Amino acid sequence: MTFDLQLSLSDLLLMLPELWMTLWICVVLCVDFLLPRLSQRTIAALSVSGLGVVLCVLLGYYALGTHGLLFKGMFVLDGLALFFKIFVVVSAMLVLLASMDYVERFRLFKSEYYFLVMLAALGMMFMASANDLLSVFVTLEFSTFGFYVLVAYLRDDLRSSEAGLKFFLLGIFAAALLVYGISLVYGETGTFIFPDIAAGDADLTPGLVVGWLLIFAALGFKIGAVPLHSWIPDTYQGAPTPVTAYLSIAPKGAAFAILLRIFFSTLIVFKPQWVWLMIGTAILSMLYGNIVAIAQKNIKRMLAYSGIAQIGNILIGMAAGTQMGAEAVLFYLLTYLFANIGAFAVIIAFSQTSRSDEIEDYSGLNRRSPFLAFSMLIFLLSLAGVPPLAGFIGKIYLFAAAIKEELYSVLVVALVSIVIAMYYYIIVIKKMYISEPDDPTPIPVPGALQAVIYVSLAGTLLLGIWPQPFMTFSVAVAAGLLP
Amino acid sequence: MTDSILLSIILFAPFIGAAVLIFVSNRQALLVRQIAVVSSGVSFVASFILLFVFDWEKGGYQFQQKYVWSEQLGIQFYLGVDGIGVPMVLASAILLFAGVFISWHITDRIKEFYAFLLVLAGATIGVYVSLDLFFLYFFYEMSVIPMYPLLGIWGSHTKGYLEMTTPEQQAQRDSPGFILNFGRNSKEYAAMKLTLFLSAGAVMALMGILLIYKFSGLNTFDIPLLAEQGHFDGTLATVIWLLCFFGFASIAPLWPLHSWSPVGHAAAPAATSMLHAGVLMKLGHFSIIRTCFQILPDQTRDLMVIAAVLCVGSILYGGYVAYHARDTKYIIGYSSSSHMGYVFLGMAALDYISLTGAVLYMFAHALATGMLFAMAGWVYDQTHTRDIPSLGGLMTKMPFVSGCFIVACMASIGMPGTVNFVAEVMIVLGSWTAYPVQTIIAVLGIVLTMAYLFRMMRGLFYGQLSELGRHAHDTRTWHDRLPLLIMIACSVAFGIMPGLLLDVIRSGVDPILSRIIEVVPMVTQAGGALVP
Repeated sequence: MTFDLQLSLSDLLLMLPELWMTLWICVVLCVDFLLPRLSQRTIAALSVSGLGVVLCVLLGYYALGTHGLLFKGMFVLDGLALFFKIFVVVSAMLVLLASMDYVERFRLFKSEYYFLVMLAALGMMFMASANDLLSVFVTLEFSTFGFYVLVAYLRDDLRSSEAGLKFFLLGIFAAALLVYGISLVYGETGTFIFPDIAAGDADLTPGLVVGWLLIFAALGFKIGAVPLHSWIPDTYQGAPTPVTAYLSIAPKGAAFAILLRIFFSTLIVFKPQWVWLMIGTAILSMLYGNIVAIAQKNIKRMLAYSGIAQIGNILIGMAAGTQMGAEAVLFYLLTYLFANIGAFAVIIAFSQTSRSDEIEDYSGLNRRSPFLAFSMLIFLLSLAGVPPLAGFIGKIYLFAAAIKEELYSVLVVALVSIVIAMYYYIIVIKKMYISEPDDPTPIPVPGALQAVIYVSLAGTLLLGIWPQPFMTFSVAVAAGLLP
Repeated sequence: MTDSILLSIILFAPFIGAAVLIFVSNRQALLVRQIAVVSSGVSFVASFILLFVFDWEKGGYQFQQKYVWSEQLGIQFYLGVDGIGVPMVLASAILLFAGVFISWHITDRIKEFYAFLLVLAGATIGVYVSLDLFFLYFFYEMSVIPMYPLLGIWGSHTKGYLEMTTPEQQAQRDSPGFILNFGRNSKEYAAMKLTLFLSAGAVMALMGILLIYKFSGLNTFDIPLLAEQGHFDGTLATVIWLLCFFGFASIAPLWPLHSWSPVGHAAAPAATSMLHAGVLMKLGHFSIIRTCFQILPDQTRDLMVIAAVLCVGSILYGGYVAYHARDTKYIIGYSSSSHMGYVFLGMAALDYISLTGAVLYMFAHALATGMLFAMAGWVYDQTHTRDIPSLGGLMTKMPFVSGCFIVACMASIGMPGTVNFVAEVMIVLGSWTAYPVQTIIAVLGIVLTMAYLFRMMRGLFYGQLSELGRHAHDTRTWHDRLPLLIMIACSVAFGIMPGLLLDVIRSGVDPILSRIIEVVPMVTQAGGALVP
């Protein structure tokens, strides 16, 4: 086997966002140790502006319809990859902005925090482009390494250390499953590249079944679907809140990029076999996430369980296994992005003053900060799926995709769980609006956090009231997904 | 007609008002009230224009507006009213406008209050003007949510709940078994029960709507189109019908799905009770007409007998509980749920006269119950209790309110001269051939209504003046009296001239019913009498 890698400069243009990102990460790191007197806010602004450039390039690529393959089909740039890269970069930008005030709590390595966030984003951008099993493994681990450090960033906090350890051990375990699965699939098919596997029309031998199951398990760990969710609550609770926000959005999105490529593009001929896997995980995630969320006293834990349930919702679209299902998954991820980042931004703003994440302490938030209470109301109602907010349209899109495939069992569970979810979201609303505060001092909201909350509010309302452009976007992106 | 924006004005004025309120400070109470008055006033005036401009001779859907909202899902933002929608839009706008004045005394977080109230009323109007199933559900679900903060923040606990002060009882208050402790609920409990109950009903209806969407094969939520071209047969149609019927009947509220409603009424502030009992509950009947009657006419013919059976439960149980209740709002709440049985009877009979009567009754009941709740709210604000035995003799303290209250009671029992009378007579006449037993029970129910309403009137306004009523005073300012006068004026005006509404309603009922029963539609004779 000869190794010849012929690359022209124009080919590398396909990787321009990643290359720029790599360069910028180095710049941020160097600026930090070359100019030690620079405040962390400047570093943050520098990072955000770098990401802004990447976002512009990505949007430009989308407008131009740039696409192509690199490295013999290992790296793909298509609509789906662009969608998830935009998704990751937007969430990283919002997280960086939301972190600016939180970072003051770290005693050491304030600026390295930004470096790590961007490094994880870079890994996830590669994940969106992964077109073969090897790059799936490499990029997945690449993005997770950043998170291992970030989760344990509050060094003196036992919970943060616990979260880091738990995340690390289970993450490594998932990685082992992934490698083993990949080796089995390679043994059966003789290739790593997704299109080649799809073209190979192999029979569904036991080795292949086990291999793909293991790969699904590893990705299921990433998105936190039941029964692979056990790391989520503790990690979410212990990690620094901006990291939790990041963790609850970006890796899940990137993992869905891979899931869509594997199950929709590669394994669609086996849909009758894997649809039960999706239905089962969806039902379990929705029921478990929603029911356990009722009992939570900590708002980060509650959002962790509600996130498990939201993933169950998204898996409905996967179970549909159609073009419409893929569109619904993408659209729902957008609605989830804004509502979830917004909710976590409110939690950060609240904990800056109160140093607490207990739901009990949210009593009377409406009297202390009407803005925060109103924003939280909108974000929680969007997560609950109440019109006219984004989450409602997202759910209807998923349900419409599912009913066209006659997936009644999963739909009934989804509808029942809407009612259950309503209960625990409303409990928080009750605390904020109905209960009286113990300590009525107003809560100031720093400018950067305000910006994040405003962007999230705008996204949540816009997607809910005028979803057509975003739906068109999802449709265009999902167009080439199914063979 | 397609370019008319009248419906958009009625629909969006409250929402725009609510959006503007976000940017106003709570300290500028007068400005907040002014914005609420202006935005609800625009709807109020525009809906009267709608009534008079609506061309009942032409019938059908009018003032249509249609925009593609989502191509992929086949959703259109499709507004339009027929003869059934017009009176309900009018009732919503009247009650909203009155409710804004009724809530004038609220001082705590006033801007949030008015914003939620406007969203509630706007969403209700939205259901009545939607001709797209998706938007019908959209506004339906949207109207449920503001109820939670409205009840939870500005509502009130029941007397039984407040009396539980010993540590033992307080422990009992938080125990799960407390759910069964009727009449002793906190406002938070009432709000949560209402929200969950209505959400459960809503998702049931959503399943029905999704099944309609899937099996019509038209990839659309367009109600007129589905009614014309959608064909559903066999078990599937029955399942859809049952899902839609019981899903929407839970808000109506049909016995035995009614239990959230009196509890919710009792906890709510006056203006919310008015909108809630007046127009929110009618969303159920209206949506059943839009889904079951229009899209599934064959099943409606076979299955509507369910409503005819259950409505007896509503009428008798609601009346019985109301007769024994001591809390003014419980009495009015149960009387509402009892009166909703009449609407179901009128709908179940599948007769032109009775269905027209049922729609008219929805309008009439909105005004009557709105007045009752408004004045029960006034009495509560003045005396801080709703417990009838601890009140009495208020006639001397508040002659104006007492007078209005008597008129409202008369309207509620269907005195000739009020629009309720016309509606009740039509329901009874129309249902007689189909369901004579139920009709007799319904007439007896009217007697029961008289009994409990007169008893409440006596307990509140006559007899010895109680200690609690000593510092009560009458309505003094124009903004306290205006809403009561508006509602009375509408009730009496349409009672004397029901033809104004009846022609409009009939133009909506005829095409719907002609697809269910094969009878020649009625024609109007020279004297305005109805003959088959």
